[in-house]
Amino acid sequence: MNTMDKNRLRKFKLFFAWQDDKEEDWLREMARMGWHLFSLGLPGFYNFTRGEPRDVVYRLDFTTSKIDMDEYLQLFQDAGWEHLGSLVGWQYFRKPAEAEGMNEIYTDPESKIQRHQRLLGYLMLFLPIMIVLFTRIGDPMAYPFFGVMKLFSAVVLLLYAYAVVRIFMRINQLRRR
Amino acid sequence: MSEEKQMQKYLPLTEATYYIMLALDEPLHGYGVMQKVKKTSEGTVDVGPGTLYGAFSTLQEEGLIRMVKKEDRRKVYALTSKGMQVLRGQIQRLQIMTKLGSDFLSRLG
Repeated sequence: MNTMDKNRLRKFKLFFAWQDDKEEDWLREMARMGWHLFSLGLPGFYNFTRGEPRDVVYRLDFTTSKIDMDEYLQLFQDAGWEHLGSLVGWQYFRKPAEAEGMNEIYTDPESKIQRHQRLLGYLMLFLPIMIVLFTRIGDPMAYPFFGVMKLFSAVVLLLYAYAVVRIFMRINQLRRR
Repeated sequence: MSEEKQMQKYLPLTEATYYIMLALDEPLHGYGVMQKVKKTSEGTVDVGPGTLYGAFSTLQEEGLIRMVKKEDRRKVYALTSKGMQVLRGQIQRLQIMTKLGSDFLSRLG
């Protein structure tokens, strides 16, 4: 679903919670082709504007409502990161790529682990809903629309479980270092 | 003893946390800390804003640093006396490590 006029591009692309580095790479690739992220729409929708092709690094952070947003954004801005917007706790930043400077917002494994744990904590908020879905999945009375709802629940449940496992795996990988 | 034991639970500090706490022997805001760490570590440690913000939150929760004032949207932090004690404990650990290391090097000749 792409709409295009000369200088605008609206793209739909889905990334899952464990694919933030893939998303960062994709946004960087778009910038290399001269398409720069301008704003975020609904989940999965990206608005780009055309410009000079540039090597720009994108980084996604995950925050909870606990933080002081003013202080947080000021710090990133002071460090040279432009804030593009946020989407359900995800913060989008970018900075011109530096050959020898820093292109990371997290610079040690310990703090990367903390970031993933915040994301995991957020996903855990949905656990009760998932348990309800799971316990009703075998109950034929719960789904009047034959298997449609059942199938939908199963897909949601599988995606959820997969996301949790993938994030756990990343935390373990960082711990082993 | 029990107080020292309490301090031990914060140790060892990560390399980044060690430099961040050392930088806060004077009141500084986040970006000031980032610049100072880069300089004092002779370029060996470069702290990103995500890492720094996380460290500030954790250290503040643990009572090792505290906010001393607000400058516009920036908060200025400084070490607490508890933070000072923890830092002292970390420095002692490092001294043991470096002493052992230099003995090793001098044996090699």
